[in-house]
Amino acid sequence: MASSQPPRAPVAPPQPANADNTNLAHLNPLPQSVFTLPQTAQLEALYTIIRDKETSRGDFLFYSDRIIRLLVEEGLNHLPVVSRTIETPTGAKYEGVGFLGKICGVSILRAGEAMEAGLREVCRSVRIGKILIQRDEETAQPKLFYSKFPPDIASRYVLLLDPMLATGGSAIKAVEVIKENGVPEERIIFINLISAPEGLKTFTSRYPAVKVITGWIDQGLNEKAYIIPGLGDFGERRYCT
Amino acid sequence: MAGTVIDHGIRLEREGGTPALSISAKKNSVLTSHGRPPWYGEAGQRICDAFVISVAGSIPTVIILSQDSFYKYHTEEELALAHANLLDFDHPDALDMPMFAACLADLKACKQSNIPIYSFSEHQRLEETKYLYGATVIIAEGIMALVDPALRALYDLKVFVQCDSDLMLARRIKRDVKERGRSVDGILDQYLRYVKPSYDNFVRPTAAYADLIVPGSNNDIAIELLCTHVREKLQERASRFRQKIAIPHLYLPSSSGASTPDSTIEELGLHVLPQTNQIQGIFTILRDKDTNRQDFIFFTDRLATLLVEHALQFLPYAPKNVVTPVQAEYQGQVQDAKNVCGVIIMRSGGALERGFRRVINDVPIGSLLVQSDFTSGDPLLLQVMLPKYVRLRHLAEETWVFLLDAQIGTAAAAFMAIRVLLDHGVKEEHIIFIAFLVARTGGISVLKNAFPKVQIVCGAVDESMREGWMDGYKGEGNPDGRGRAVWLMQPGMGQIGAYLDIYFTSPNFPILTDVQVIATTFEMDMGFRTVYILF
Repeated sequence: MASSQPPRAPVAPPQPANADNTNLAHLNPLPQSVFTLPQTAQLEALYTIIRDKETSRGDFLFYSDRIIRLLVEEGLNHLPVVSRTIETPTGAKYEGVGFLGKICGVSILRAGEAMEAGLREVCRSVRIGKILIQRDEETAQPKLFYSKFPPDIASRYVLLLDPMLATGGSAIKAVEVIKENGVPEERIIFINLISAPEGLKTFTSRYPAVKVITGWIDQGLNEKAYIIPGLGDFGERRYCT
Repeated sequence: MAGTVIDHGIRLEREGGTPALSISAKKNSVLTSHGRPPWYGEAGQRICDAFVISVAGSIPTVIILSQDSFYKYHTEEELALAHANLLDFDHPDALDMPMFAACLADLKACKQSNIPIYSFSEHQRLEETKYLYGATVIIAEGIMALVDPALRALYDLKVFVQCDSDLMLARRIKRDVKERGRSVDGILDQYLRYVKPSYDNFVRPTAAYADLIVPGSNNDIAIELLCTHVREKLQERASRFRQKIAIPHLYLPSSSGASTPDSTIEELGLHVLPQTNQIQGIFTILRDKDTNRQDFIFFTDRLATLLVEHALQFLPYAPKNVVTPVQAEYQGQVQDAKNVCGVIIMRSGGALERGFRRVINDVPIGSLLVQSDFTSGDPLLLQVMLPKYVRLRHLAEETWVFLLDAQIGTAAAAFMAIRVLLDHGVKEEHIIFIAFLVARTGGISVLKNAFPKVQIVCGAVDESMREGWMDGYKGEGNPDGRGRAVWLMQPGMGQIGAYLDIYFTSPNFPILTDVQVIATTFEMDMGFRTVYILF
């Protein structure tokens, strides 16, 4: 009887992140369409490195890539699968699953491009579209300057890439453009490293069916609409300009 | 067919009476003829010390420890005397006996030892040391080997080689001129002034301590006796335990004493990756026998990356405050392990290397080559290449080691690898084992019993192990072409385990018998994609 056995050494729980820094401390409850990575000490240590203004560019690249890979992996988990039975080399039958549905990435220039490498490490030869959105000086509204998508984007699942979700302005504009190209909201997955609660609320209330995978939800925005504590300008730190 | 001692060349003999294999051994070296069998029991404890004899042997994994390495460090004045051939090297005081004894004691206790290196041309102990580990038999060699009582206490067998003094002088002149760059005059002067009196005063009397006195020439029978004795002693210590751990419930009582068939995942304390859609999909591809090689490599890399990320949560973390570029304070955390390194269990553990490097920047990686014995199926330790963090004992105590292997089936290789790390002084709770697959009813429960503090992270757990039969082939060590029993995981992912097995035991590949061949395999392995070359 398995139940009569004395308990073995219990599985050590993963070390948690600082309670003050967790997502729920900044946004509670999370909107239903928002998914985050497990808030472990390990993930927090990665974020501590990329937040630190003293971190070298090499380390910034290495550790932000690690987070991006984890985010893309999490994003892919929201794609559908079908059951599939295969035969193993030892001759056994195995009831597994097969991937279903084609995907493509869409990066919001310029910082979103930095996430493409991480996406490609997880999905070989994935198609990637691009969107350039900038603030219109006259209206102060985000304006579409350029977009280029795979021709069959309407039949694909779209992974929208932008490292920072601050006010949500450009992400909302990007989803609008992608929807105009025939992709329904349900098939869009927005992936970012850090988000502000304000931007998350605005974005999810506008597009409740778009899934948002965010690495960490921060305290909020300052008067210049920078995320606090954030990590500064992602593109600037990544491309060193 | 006994081995014969000729100068320092030692003939190794394989069990079963196959032709002897000749290897010319240098001093302070490790000789292996066929790898090192287990030196521990099912509970993971060390069950035998290394066997220490003081002159010659002919059995697998022999370490030769030479007295010459333990000459003391010389001051400037002594150095000047030495270069003028005026320093007495043939007095027991010239040797660092406590250090000799300490190194020997470490090796005897199956620990690693970093022994000094002495240069005869510079008459000085050098800065660097030589790493020795993994002896079944240790041969301590040197004219003063029987002088020190502390050393004598460590020997299991003491042999005195008696030789004609003319012959000894002739050999000495030959050696010192050729190998040590001395002049004949200097040699003779040194001989009459120091060597001869020293022999009469210190060396010859120690013959009284010897268990066996062997003549220096025409000694075939004496050596045969010696070899038989050592072989008998080793046989007594041999441990055949793979069978026991492969299907543990048939052999080992459960912790409650009841005859439980096997353990559940929870009881085993395994850390299994969350079975998300992607993980299930990746495993389906890896298990499929029709998956092509490119896909197999891509998805093993992806899975390995996720496994290593998952495993990193078991390292220690400490608070750290930083300031972000927008001048905000952040109370974060930092990884707090002093030294981190990886050790790959060759061959199939190499499949995790790329994922490991993707996640841990600039990480030192070592490897252990463990292969099954052709006849018994027992694991044999063939090659040990460990990072500095493990080799040096004072660093090993603060090092966290990730052990990488494709799967834990019988757990024999995992068991051996963990034992190697513990021997080096790595703490059990600092070992994190990463594997793609673990067989629930295989050796894992014995492994967990023996080493409860080792964290085991895996991608999936397979239900069972099935006994299979691998075809043998005729060749060295297996003259009848006997097949051998292997354990297959069900449903398994074959390729990593079995494909490599087939590769390494196929007639096209040389059997790993001597050091040379192992060295070549490793050169291939260093080329990053090794395991893939092997498919």
